[in-house]
Amino acid sequence: MRFNRDFNLTYIIFALLGGVILVFIIAPLLGMFLSLKAPEFFSTLNDKQVGESIYRTLFISALVTLVAAFFALPLAYILARKSFPLKGLIEAIIDLPIVIPHSAAGIALLGFISRDSLLGSFASSLGLNLVGSSSAIGMAMAFVSIPFLINSARDGFSAVPVRLEQAAETLGASRYKVFSQISLPLAKRSVISGLVLMFARGMSEFGAVVIVAYHPMTTPVLIFDRFNSFGLDYARPVAAIFVAVTLIIFIFLRIYQKK
Amino acid sequence: MMLNIDSLEYSTGDFNLGPLSFELEEGGYLTVSGPSGSGKSMLMELIAGLRIPKRGRILIDSVDYTYFSPKSRPVGLLFQDYALFPHLSVFDNIAFPLKILKKDKVEIQKRVKVLAEYFFVEKLLKRDIGGLSGGERQRVALARAIAYQPRILLLDEPLSALDEELRDGAKETLKALKNSGQTIIHVTHNMDEVEGLATKSILFGQGFIKSVF
Repeated sequence: MRFNRDFNLTYIIFALLGGVILVFIIAPLLGMFLSLKAPEFFSTLNDKQVGESIYRTLFISALVTLVAAFFALPLAYILARKSFPLKGLIEAIIDLPIVIPHSAAGIALLGFISRDSLLGSFASSLGLNLVGSSSAIGMAMAFVSIPFLINSARDGFSAVPVRLEQAAETLGASRYKVFSQISLPLAKRSVISGLVLMFARGMSEFGAVVIVAYHPMTTPVLIFDRFNSFGLDYARPVAAIFVAVTLIIFIFLRIYQKK
Repeated sequence: MMLNIDSLEYSTGDFNLGPLSFELEEGGYLTVSGPSGSGKSMLMELIAGLRIPKRGRILIDSVDYTYFSPKSRPVGLLFQDYALFPHLSVFDNIAFPLKILKKDKVEIQKRVKVLAEYFFVEKLLKRDIGGLSGGERQRVALARAIAYQPRILLLDEPLSALDEELRDGAKETLKALKNSGQTIIHVTHNMDEVEGLATKSILFGQGFIKSVF
């Protein structure tokens, strides 16, 4: 029998195994859309609370992603370029939010921002209550999602040849100009990928957000609330609309990223 | 003397460079040759400020630049792989040092045009770096290094990435640069390729100067 490089038995078995994973991801989502009932779906579409929660979720997640980038990108660059004592420890600290349960992260954050904490009492003196605020939602989102941005950007900066940065230096560029005009544009793809991942992870966060701010409700909390109070039929349309909105956003972001 | 290297020493891991001492006059063309790993490229990086020496001094026009950052040195460096910026066009690569110096747009246009004509890359200005041949890359990198108007131009194995047939043309370009009065240090492991160019030559042993001629 003639040997075919494209249809080797190993590849066929691997493709079938991979197919199981794809079905595992697609089937529940597809099932959710297929079991939607038209009246509930259309009434949910016009539900002001749902619209507001989606807007709130997307807006806060986008905002914290941009604010976090201002701090995270310099850190990612240092981690990519410099060796220093305790670097491994710092990298482990950055990965902590990925490994700890998000409800535990919420509890930790709640202690950090409650009125009897340093930050909470300072905010309180300004007439602000952090617990149950948009700021708390943003902090919870940032806490659980920032490792994705830092790690992706760090990998991107690491892949930029040091030679190009040195060349820019010998051409008169300061270290900051080297970063802004050579390293950052060359690592752009990884940085954007990190921003998208952070944004996505932030807006889908439930565990940490629900502990620091049940109200105002983000969409993941609203889905839980509807499920808890009224059951699956009322939670499903909200979930489907949120998934559809996020899918549309990510298709656009993917297309932009490819460009 | 324009360049004065005075008892320069550097070490990294097990490798020790120097002490090295030599001088180069204005408009001179110094070739530095020796086996691979003898410290030739390291010397270039020391002069360019990409490495900081352990001891000794680097004087250019009698000014001590030993501990100056690379951006503050009147030195241009052509890397062995040319180190062109892949996200910028040929024009923007050549214009890079001029933009850093905040020259005005008209002046940048003019200067890039002059340099592009000098190095026969005027038709490539809008092109991406990815599509250039080895010879074209070398000429763009030279134009970029010269745009900065450095007092000394350091060439690290500038011909090694080129095919045999492109080398003659590239050598002509270097000859023209030398004749324009540019002070040049040219590192090579192949003395044949610098025949007829050098006004002074240094032969390296493992981390030390074997002979000057």
